[in-house]
Amino acid sequence: MPHDPKVLDHEYDGIQEFDNPTPGWWHFLFYLFIVFSFFYTVLAFAGSPYLPTPEDKHQTEKIAAQKKKFETLPDLLPDAMTIASYSKSEPWMDYAASVFAGNCVLCHGAEGGGAVGPNLTDEFGKSIKTIEDIHMVIQNGAAAGAMPAWGQRLHPKDVILLSSYVAKLRGTSPMVGIAPEGEQMEPWPDAPPPVEPEADSGDAGDG
Amino acid sequence: MTAIQSEVGGRTELESFSYDDAIVRKFFWATLIWGIVAFLVGVILAFQLAFPQFNLIPEVAFGRLRPLHTNAAIFAFAGNAIFTAVYYSTQRLCKARMWSDTLSKLHFWGWQLIIVSAAITLPLGITQGKEYAELEWPIDLAIAVVWLGFFGTNFMMTLIKRRERHMYVALWFYIASLVAVTILHVFNNVWIPIGVVEFIKTGEITSASNLMKSYPVYAGVQDAFMQWWYGHNAVAFFLTTPFLGLMYYFLPKAANRPVFSYKLSIIHFWSLVFIYIWAGPHHLHYTALPQWASTLGMVFSLMLWMPSWGGMINGLLTLRGAWHKVAADPVLKFFVVGVTFYGMSTFEGPLLSVKTVNALSHYTDWTIAHVHSGTLGWNSFMTFGMLYWLAPRLFQAKSLYSMKLASMHFWMGTIGILLYVISIYTAGITQGLMWRAFDESGSLMYPSFIETVTKLMPFYWIRAIGGTLFLVSTCIGGYNLIMTWRNRPAKYEVPVHQAPALSKHYDDGPPPQSRLTANAGIGHAGDRFLQGHWHRRWERLPVRFTVWVVIAVSVASVFEIIPTFLIKSNVTTISTVQPYTPLEVAGRDIYIAEGCYNCHSQMIRPIYAETQRYGDYTKPGETVYDRPFQWGSRRIGPDLGREGVTNPNAAWHYGHFIDPPGTVGGSIMPSYEHLAQKDLNYAEIQARVMGLAMLGTPYGEAVKSAEELARAQAVEIAEQIRTGNTGVEIVEPLEDKQIIALIAYMQRLGTDLYAVPEAEGEEIAEGGDQ
Repeated sequence: MPHDPKVLDHEYDGIQEFDNPTPGWWHFLFYLFIVFSFFYTVLAFAGSPYLPTPEDKHQTEKIAAQKKKFETLPDLLPDAMTIASYSKSEPWMDYAASVFAGNCVLCHGAEGGGAVGPNLTDEFGKSIKTIEDIHMVIQNGAAAGAMPAWGQRLHPKDVILLSSYVAKLRGTSPMVGIAPEGEQMEPWPDAPPPVEPEADSGDAGDG
Repeated sequence: MTAIQSEVGGRTELESFSYDDAIVRKFFWATLIWGIVAFLVGVILAFQLAFPQFNLIPEVAFGRLRPLHTNAAIFAFAGNAIFTAVYYSTQRLCKARMWSDTLSKLHFWGWQLIIVSAAITLPLGITQGKEYAELEWPIDLAIAVVWLGFFGTNFMMTLIKRRERHMYVALWFYIASLVAVTILHVFNNVWIPIGVVEFIKTGEITSASNLMKSYPVYAGVQDAFMQWWYGHNAVAFFLTTPFLGLMYYFLPKAANRPVFSYKLSIIHFWSLVFIYIWAGPHHLHYTALPQWASTLGMVFSLMLWMPSWGGMINGLLTLRGAWHKVAADPVLKFFVVGVTFYGMSTFEGPLLSVKTVNALSHYTDWTIAHVHSGTLGWNSFMTFGMLYWLAPRLFQAKSLYSMKLASMHFWMGTIGILLYVISIYTAGITQGLMWRAFDESGSLMYPSFIETVTKLMPFYWIRAIGGTLFLVSTCIGGYNLIMTWRNRPAKYEVPVHQAPALSKHYDDGPPPQSRLTANAGIGHAGDRFLQGHWHRRWERLPVRFTVWVVIAVSVASVFEIIPTFLIKSNVTTISTVQPYTPLEVAGRDIYIAEGCYNCHSQMIRPIYAETQRYGDYTKPGETVYDRPFQWGSRRIGPDLGREGVTNPNAAWHYGHFIDPPGTVGGSIMPSYEHLAQKDLNYAEIQARVMGLAMLGTPYGEAVKSAEELARAQAVEIAEQIRTGNTGVEIVEPLEDKQIIALIAYMQRLGTDLYAVPEAEGEEIAEGGDQ
């Protein structure tokens, strides 16, 4: 080999070694990462605002996301009229459908027809008589813990919108539905749909 | 060579010796057989994910079979491959027979016995529930004896009694593997055996399962830290360093070329050994592990990139001037692709350790793809290259039975790997992106987890096909090797070699002069250091070399481990977090035995998409009674960290365990109907609670009446199930069944954070507000 560098006088079972230098780019990248790591570690340990902890970052993201999500929604009270009224808000019910899909379908079925949990589409309620009871059951749970308390888990506005969504399920006909349980519920009060704030209502609504 | 002769001043007395190739042949066949077993189990698992009907009986359902696959691939297949390489090359590099034929044999049969006991205990659900460290305490002890007592002693004594003055780089890597694996294995497996505790306290042992059961002395965050310090470095010192040693011997042998750079060998060896150990915490980014550890895990992983690539460069550039041989020789083909996969995985490793990348990749199939490009591409291909090179030599046949079949093995295997990893990379990234996708209204785009599972099915089919191809290609290889073996002579020749013994005294030659001309004392010292004369000296001092390796490995460990245990603020106490009830302990042990942690995590990360999906992120203080921790590493099913908060319905769980797809359409979870059939052994629980109390779990008076407490709780849960809509038939007496304990555990998961403190029972605990 004409271009071969020097072979060292090492020989092990016939294996020899060249006296090649380590490649320059290898050194460069090796030292680059050591330097980077040094500065990164110092910044991270010093609590630099450029390197927030995951917990802080989560908090910031959460606040920003909730602000964006609910910015067009006024403060709500879990009363009968509010729940009934929002069950007629198309954009907010689209939103609540997603909350329902994420948290409720395992027990109540994709369309609320019930499975382990009661059928939400019929005229009967196990722990529910009035429309406010829906909120109470979601918020605090029922049936000795078989229905968990979602107040621990969801945003207060989520719980109210979800109550409206469940109220709206009454009278629909799901593909799968279990037999009614409990007692006949009172009719839901009639309430006009909520007045969407004029500004930005489109943004919130389209979602 | 010249040094040896000059040192003894002409009075060279030659010693005669022969190499023990019989033991190498044994390890050779064990490698092949266990390789086929490991790949076969892998293929079965791949089909179980694509078609859940393949979970035929509980013993070989996914959760119990997956540890068998990983253990077989790592410890049986790769393990025997390592020993094949070590036993063949060490003898030749040392010009000495293995120190003790008896130890060699004890090592071989001991190791195979460990593998067989793993293959029996894991399907029976006897497991510690920690990934790649599943084997229970009696087998742990056996591993320590066989690894260090038989293999370690034999190997080190061979080094000491060698006839070659200097140790070649392959031996350095073997030393590092021996030392580090010992340390990792011992410190990760510190447990108390329940049966032994029971025997000491009561004079009897309730059951075989109590006898085999142990609890780790570490809990929660600390257990997680130790486990991934171990897990990561098992990859480092079981799947990397020994295979680098293998590469350094067999690749230049096969190519018949000198190694590219001795200097690179030195620097990449020491940097690799020192840096690898620190990188373990990158497996726990965004978990309840303290941030400082996570940060160290990330930066050391980045610094590890170039030391890893040093090995790849030395491997590939050794082939410079021999590339024409690669086209013709299947051995070199396997080596080239193997080393290339090594380069890709060791670039990908640091990439995945970057926190923001890890936020996407963690818990997805991306990790699975990464390890398979390492194990299939690097470990298997290096092994196959070695086996093909060894076969004609070990079996003293003229040549390999068929070059054509070897080439076919190579191409089929390569295509199999590519199908496997490309489909699973795609699956991983797809699922990771789906988990974090939000729609315009700010809600999760795919709120139900199952959507993100069914989406992956086509990729799982492709993966199963890729895995099958790889398995078939290995069988073709096996056939080729067996046919080569059939061409062996009636009796193997045992050539006798001669070399002088090493004399006590050795002149290392004059220390180098500084090459610097400027007048700077420290500069001269530095230059002399850089010329590496000191290292050449170490290379002839195996004990000193080993001590330095121990130091390099331990320093890093000590710097990370000690603070993890000492800094109290790492794990803040949460007053409402209480020990598991006796029934929950029993349920937790079933969760571990069934291998639920192979598909479910219990660690919600502080990432908004994740807290939206699962609930408030898991706090370090919530896992203080978790022995072992069960944070998991892959979400084939959803996280269960807040299962008790979001889904405490006993009737739902009962129906779901018996018929998962009937409860959640599209579910690929196997049925756990057997838990509804089999009785729980309540008598076992007392000893287990006693064991936990011994480790510091504050049970107070409850420790005396564990069994009664468990029975009382079971009656309550059974009643909840009877009064609920399970959708399936209930097997009575319900309160006696194992499923009740598991449901008790499910109902408890993640609830303590919201529990009402006993002292202020009136107040309502502050809720989350996701």
